[in-house]
This record gives sequence, structure tokens and C-alpha cells, in this order.
Amino acid sequence: MKRTYTRIAMAALVASAWLSQASADEFLVGAEIPLTGNLARVGAGMQEGIMVAAEVFNKTNGKHKVKIVTVDDESAPAKAIAAVEKLASQGVVAITGGYGSNNISPASDTANKLGLVYITSGGVDDSLVASGRKNFFRINNTAGYEKAMLGMLADVGAKSVSIVYSTKDATTGLAKDVEKALAARGVKVTTHSFDPAITDFKPIINKIKLQDKSEVVAMVGYENDYVGIIRAARVLKPKIKAMVGVWSLATPKMAADFPDLMPNVFGTALLPFPTEFKTADGKAFSDAYKQLYKKEPDYLGQFGYVQSMLLFEAIARAADKGTIKKGGVAEEMRKTDRETLIGRVQFAANGDNQNFVHRMAQHQDKKVVIVWPKEHATGKLAYPAVPW
Amino acid sequence: MKRSTLMATAALLLAAYVAVPLLLGANQYVMSIVVAALIIGGVAMSWALLGNLGGMVSFGHAAFFGVGAYVSALATVKLGLPVFAAMLLGGAGAAIAAIIMLPVLRLRGPYFALAILAYAHIFRILATEWSSVTGGAGGINNIPTLPTVFGFDLASKTGAYLVVLTLVVCCAIAYSRIRASHYGIALRAMHDSEDATRVVGVNSTLLKGMMLLVSAFMAGLFGAFNAHYINFLEPDYAFNSLWVTLPIVAAIFGGYRTILGPVLGAVVVYLVDQLIFKSLIPTGHQLVLGVLLVAMIVFSPNGLLPLLQKWLKNAFKAKEKTHA
Repeated sequence: MKRTYTRIAMAALVASAWLSQASADEFLVGAEIPLTGNLARVGAGMQEGIMVAAEVFNKTNGKHKVKIVTVDDESAPAKAIAAVEKLASQGVVAITGGYGSNNISPASDTANKLGLVYITSGGVDDSLVASGRKNFFRINNTAGYEKAMLGMLADVGAKSVSIVYSTKDATTGLAKDVEKALAARGVKVTTHSFDPAITDFKPIINKIKLQDKSEVVAMVGYENDYVGIIRAARVLKPKIKAMVGVWSLATPKMAADFPDLMPNVFGTALLPFPTEFKTADGKAFSDAYKQLYKKEPDYLGQFGYVQSMLLFEAIARAADKGTIKKGGVAEEMRKTDRETLIGRVQFAANGDNQNFVHRMAQHQDKKVVIVWPKEHATGKLAYPAVPW
Repeated sequence: MKRSTLMATAALLLAAYVAVPLLLGANQYVMSIVVAALIIGGVAMSWALLGNLGGMVSFGHAAFFGVGAYVSALATVKLGLPVFAAMLLGGAGAAIAAIIMLPVLRLRGPYFALAILAYAHIFRILATEWSSVTGGAGGINNIPTLPTVFGFDLASKTGAYLVVLTLVVCCAIAYSRIRASHYGIALRAMHDSEDATRVVGVNSTLLKGMMLLVSAFMAGLFGAFNAHYINFLEPDYAFNSLWVTLPIVAAIFGGYRTILGPVLGAVVVYLVDQLIFKSLIPTGHQLVLGVLLVAMIVFSPNGLLPLLQKWLKNAFKAKEKTHA
């Protein structure tokens, strides 16, 4: 009888040791995301990508698993700090997410103090990588948007450009950089800033029509701004050859919501619509996305997926080396050199992805067609071509 | 002050200064929520002071909060002043900003509320456009944190809590002194009938102006603290309408005619919302808070603190009867 008890106790010990080993291989990863507030829409898009990355990683990695713990930062800096602290208290090994430089800055500061890696694609403000945060990483930046816009404008041979930009931080930064680069190339540039609160863009478009007489209108703003600018341009019809914008413009949502405004408009986009993936990673992402969310993936999901997958892989490598609690995740992130759905990712010493170059797309027949660079193009660029 | 009130205040202060850090100090998340609640409580107190002693409903306290934050941040970043001196300067800056608003004191009711709201908007635009000084829409990063004093890091969660609690206590004492002074008596009389108090020779515009400056100084002080606590500032955040709406909700919830009601309201509202409702409903938890606020206004329009006082009084009476 005594031997039976001993055997049972031994079996229990072995089982508990195996179970603890199994659970030790599942890593908690924090997602600090705006799911409510003014950034809720983009936050939700990024969250979808994060969840898809976890799904794909858990299916394919085999040895290690990740579990996502999400805290809504309510689009507010103080709550972003609290969210990071809450995630840290729950034992996460790193954080993915963040949207808006104003939330990312204090949140990543907090993560840095707590020794947690923080990766994002939601903030393009360059001060984020200039502040000396050792555990901060991001996969996209203003330079990548600038390269795409400038590359396309060079290819079409635009000689004069009017830049219409919102006075928000990221938009101002990008507009100024584009202005400087175009002027250096000898392109005639005029700029028109607008307060994010304004909705009537007719005075600005009128100036472009009567004074600037530019070939291209470059828009640096957000969804509502683009709609207002293009609407005003449709009314006043300046003699331009193209309307070009940046983020949140060349998307299926814009094509569906504003079918009369979008034809021929250019914008940065990583994905054509309907989506088309040629790589195994791309197909895995697309399949898992459609399975989880019953819809076509978008660029926010794509960014969320890439940043999270890079993080999970770094966690797995650090776990294999037993360095998770010794700063190993950050170390492995710095060693990252990988071809991803947004191109090659390598982090510079400041945590910025030094290879990031966006792509340009054009709305054509209710589709979004990648038109620049040529190696990624899914269709032919139409130029001159305007929305009216 | 009655002995029982003194005892209760001493117990409350002891609990706030000793028990809270001892019990919650290790939990960074909870401490962070408590600090945020006290910041809102401080602004709520400054808002209530203006409403209670000046009879003015302000929708523009975000202006004072933002100006205080910017002045303090710039004083440390550009002039290299010590953080606490800069915070005082932040409060003074907010009071100076309030001087510009003095002409609107001639307005009453909704006209005053709207005019002061417009001023808040003006300051936001100024902070955005004056980019050579304020950093424009990009704001200011890496604002110096609270210092280390005698080896104790005030930038830690417990340190920041003790600093903001001290600010709240100092403001509450100042509020209490003003309310008990003959200025306070005149102001409370004005609250009921401004014309009647004018007839007996009270310069109501001067008194209201003084209260506006005091209220602005307090809000600016908390704005300055927040800038050094978050270490980041941008116009949209510094002058966000959140810095008006949440304190108003907190003040009304806690009891805006009392001194500690707004602080209690902020602590209860913020903690319950973030620690309970947010856990139960991760997104959209503010809905429950809205319902709770409506219920509070319907069932106890004077707020939580008067309700608690009434409840405690009844409890004591019942106890005395039992002993008799």
C-alpha cells in the first residue's frame, strides 16, 4: 500500500513538473492599444493583426506559445502609462501595440523603466527614436512614407507640387521633409497648412488653382481631411495632373465609402485590394486573418502582424538561450534581420527600422492597385489622372 | 473646528500618507490610477472653488491646466529651473493667463461659460502655432521628472503620490482658509444674490476676479505636476476637454459645495471606473459610469460627501440611542 502511495506521489510530481514546463513555454505578451477614444478605429485594426500574429506563431512555432493580454489605453497618455504598468504587473515579457506618438511616448518610457521591450507601428514621430529608449522598437517611420511619395513623384516627373498638410505633429513633420526634399530636386513647392478642425478646403484649393498652378496636390492628413480636400477639388477643378496622399487613403474602406471621390487618387499602401499575397508568410497571415475576422486584411492588421511576429520570434530565441529575464528579448530584437510583409526589417541602434520604404497605390475601378515601386506593382500607374 | 472633525481629518491624513503607500505602494498600476485620480481631484477642487465661492461655471479650466503644464515644462527644459520651482511658476503662469480672462467676468451664466471655453481654445491654438517655443503640434518630450530628495525618488510611483497628495492637501487648506475668511463669507452671500451683496458695498467683480486667479493657480499647479509626471506634453493633450469634463463630473459626483467632495468624487469615480468597470467591461466601461452619475444626481443632487456625512450622522445617532 505504502509503495502504491509512493508511486502515485512520484507520478504526481513528474506530472506537475511536466505541466510547469509546459506552462513555462507559454509567454504572456502585453498589447497596449486604443480600443476606445479617438484612435479606436486604428487601434482595433492593429489589435486584429496582433491576434493573427499570435494565432500563426502558436500554430507554426511548435516549441513556444504566446498569450496576448490586451489593455485598452483609451487613446489617453496617462492611461497608456497605467496600461503598461498593469501589463507589467500581470507578468508580460514584452509589449506590442501603441497608437499615436502622444500615447506611445509616455507608454514606451514606462516600459523602458520597467525593462520591457516595446514595439509599435503606430507612431512616426522621430522624437520617439531620438530619446534614447533602449527597449523601444518600431517598424515604420516618416522617412519610409517620404521615400514612397518622393519616388512616385520623381517617376511621373512632377515639376510643381502644392502640399496641403494638417498642423498635427506627424503630418507637419512629413510635409516639411517632403517639401525640403522636393525643393532640393528643383521642384517648385508651395505649402498650405490647415488646422485639423477645419472642414472647408475650398479657400486652399482656390489658392492652388489661381496662384500655385501646380501639377500635383500632395495631401498630408487623415481620412476626413482627404475627403474634404478632394471634395473641394472636385468642385473647383484646379488644372492638376494628380492628387497624392499618405496613410489611410489608398484603402478599400475609402474606396467603398467614397466611390465618387477616390478614382485615380494615390496614397501609401502596402496591400492591393483585393489582397494578393505571394509569400508563404503572407498567405499564412491572410488565411488566419480571414478565418479569425471573416474579412479581407488591411494595412493596420498587416503592421500589427509584422511587429508582433518579430517580437514573438525574438522572445522565442531569447527563451531558447534562457535570457528572457536578462534583457534577452531586446538583444534578440536588435539582431533581427528578416524579410517581412512590409519588406526587410533591421533595427538601428535607436530602435528604428532602417529599411522601411512604403509603397504607393492608386484607386482604380474601386480597386487599390500598387503602382510604386515597380518590383511590387500589381497594376499600371495612371497619370495624368484626377478624381473628376 | 470640532474635535470629532479634527480627529476624522487626522485619521484621513494618516491613512492617506501612511496606509496607502504601505498597502498599495508595491502595485505600480494601482498607484498610477490613484495618482491620476488625485490630479483630476485637484483640478475638480479648483473648478469647484470657482463655482462655490465665485458662483461661476467654468468650461475653460483646461486652459489653466494646459498653461500651467507648458510654463512648468518650458521652465525646466529651456531655462533649467528646478522642477518644484517650475511647478510654482506653472501655477503663476496659469494665474497670469486668468488675468487675460478678467474682462469676461462681466458676463454671467452661459455667456461666461462659453467665453472661458473660447479662451481655452485660443491657448491650444497658441501652443500649436508658437512652435519655436512650445515645439508646436509635436509637443515636448523628455520633460524632467520629479527630483530625488534626501535619497527618496519622488519620480517613483509612491513619490509622485506623496507629492500630488501634498498639493491636494495644501490646496484644500487654502480653500478652507479662503472660505472661512470674510471674503469667503461675502462670496457665499454673492452666490445667493449678487445684487444684494453689491448693495451692501461688496466689490463683487474684484472678489470674483480674485477667485478666478486662485482657481487658475490651483489648476495650473496640477497641470504642471502632470507634465513632470507624464514627461510629455502636446497641445491636444494639455488643453484637452477631458481636463474640464472629468473634474466637473467628479466635483458634482462628490459634492461641489464642499471642500473635499470634488477630490473624493474624483477618487471614487476614477478608481471605480478603472479598477472595477474596466475589468468587467474592457471597452465601453464609461457607459456604466454615465449611468452611475445620472443616478447620483437624481438621488443625491448634493453629491457623495454630503450623503456620507448624513449617513454617518444617522449612524451615530442610532448608536447613541442604543447606548441610552
